[in-house]
Amino acid sequence: MIKKKYNNLNDFLEDASFNNWVLQNNATDIHFWEFWIANNLDKKELVDKAKELILGFSFKTDFVNKEKVALEWQKLESKILAQKTIPKRKVRFLRQFSVAASILLLVSIGFYFLNSTSKVTHKTNFGEIINIKLQDGSDVTLNSNSSLSYYKNESRKVWLSGEAFFQVDKKAATNAKFWVLTDDLSVEVYGTSFNVNTKKNKTDVFLEEGSIWLKLKNGADKKMIPGNYISYSADKNKILEDKNIFNPATKTSWKDGSLFFENLSLEVAMDKIEETYGFSIIFKDENCKNILITGAVPATNIDICIKAIEKSVDVAIIRQGDNLIISKK
Amino acid sequence: MEKLTDKFLWKALKEGDLNAFSVLFESYYPQLHSYGLKISKSNVVTEDTLQDFFLYIYERRENLSDLDTIAPYLFTSYKRFLLKVMKKNEMLKHTDFSNEIFIDIQFTAEEVITNQETAIFKNRNLSLLLNKLPSRQKEAIYLKYYSGLKASEISEVMGINYQSVVNTLHKAIKSLKEEISILKLFS
Repeated sequence: MIKKKYNNLNDFLEDASFNNWVLQNNATDIHFWEFWIANNLDKKELVDKAKELILGFSFKTDFVNKEKVALEWQKLESKILAQKTIPKRKVRFLRQFSVAASILLLVSIGFYFLNSTSKVTHKTNFGEIINIKLQDGSDVTLNSNSSLSYYKNESRKVWLSGEAFFQVDKKAATNAKFWVLTDDLSVEVYGTSFNVNTKKNKTDVFLEEGSIWLKLKNGADKKMIPGNYISYSADKNKILEDKNIFNPATKTSWKDGSLFFENLSLEVAMDKIEETYGFSIIFKDENCKNILITGAVPATNIDICIKAIEKSVDVAIIRQGDNLIISKK
Repeated sequence: MEKLTDKFLWKALKEGDLNAFSVLFESYYPQLHSYGLKISKSNVVTEDTLQDFFLYIYERRENLSDLDTIAPYLFTSYKRFLLKVMKKNEMLKHTDFSNEIFIDIQFTAEEVITNQETAIFKNRNLSLLLNKLPSRQKEAIYLKYYSGLKASEISEVMGINYQSVVNTLHKAIKSLKEEISILKLFS
């Protein structure tokens, strides 16, 4: 697993796996680094210093929310557009429009709150990622082409189709569980963060932090510890994969708006693009499938995503209707 | 891990791609907003200057130089932009601000989180202790642990070399640890 030499402070500080060990949130990395340190005692001083720097201080970050950012962007965009066209009229029109839009928004929020026992469903389109805050304080990031439903009076039991990342708030007082239900299994949770993906007729669960139990459709129970990744299909009545993930970003980076590829073949990487944006992938040249790609591309902007892939692996990608056609340059 | 996205966003922006600019805006606005709030302590000033700052970037996009990572550039230029406005509005006490590189960040009791080692403090006391640190140590702490920048990026923002960033952070951690051990002696 060791990929490089660790000689100076920076080597440790910028290493994702080392950070995981310090923060104790990935079983594979924890085991690896305990072993590594025991065998490299001469580096102990550096390790301690790096650990101290990573732990450093913790803050409750209070960043402005997405809605506010979207609003500020609208303001800026209208200024930019106003400068491009006839200045005054456009601005006035946009201002009137935004007043109307905000009234409409307020009315719809009002309706939303009136219906408190009804079923709530959040749906995303291709290339769209949204954050949902549940009533109990849990955070859900819903990936593209996915849906999440729950009853207003029972928000700790959610149905998922597609992919979502959960950060579940622990209810210490009541010890109430949190449930995620899919076609293949249900996930039983106290307080923790994990990723669930039901795309392609199976359910993949990746646990980043805490501990969870899976209740598979066939009746079996399975306990997961941080770093575990389990893929199960009820159709096949079979666990397809059960392994530890070395770099959690490969499973969860989509929630921060980027897809993360680490030494993946272009074929597998484009599979992820297909899942995220809803394009069909056509390889004109079979050789292109095996090119390896490493890096991060955006999960919500197909144009920039295509450009980034083209540049990094030297292929040409042409968008034709619902297809992405890949060929050698 | 190199972020492919940054480089291409920046290039697309230079070509006037509004779509790319909106992605860039959405990814950096929240961090710059709280950075601005820390410096100016005013929501209105922060939001106004951010609007003007991003508009300024878009207007002079053709003159921007190529970048591999965007964060240090945005943090540095926004800070400079904001300080200029604050100086004009006489929000700064020192009129001679051109020589002042470091800004004075204050941490609130609500935003500090105690860990095992610092659990001996109440949040309020920990924030007081942090605020007593020299201003450059506080800025480094803020950029690293609040904004989540890398040491190499902080060195660009603060205009000091990589080793100095690491030393500055380490010094802050050490002096806090000393305070803790003194406190433990008396408790």
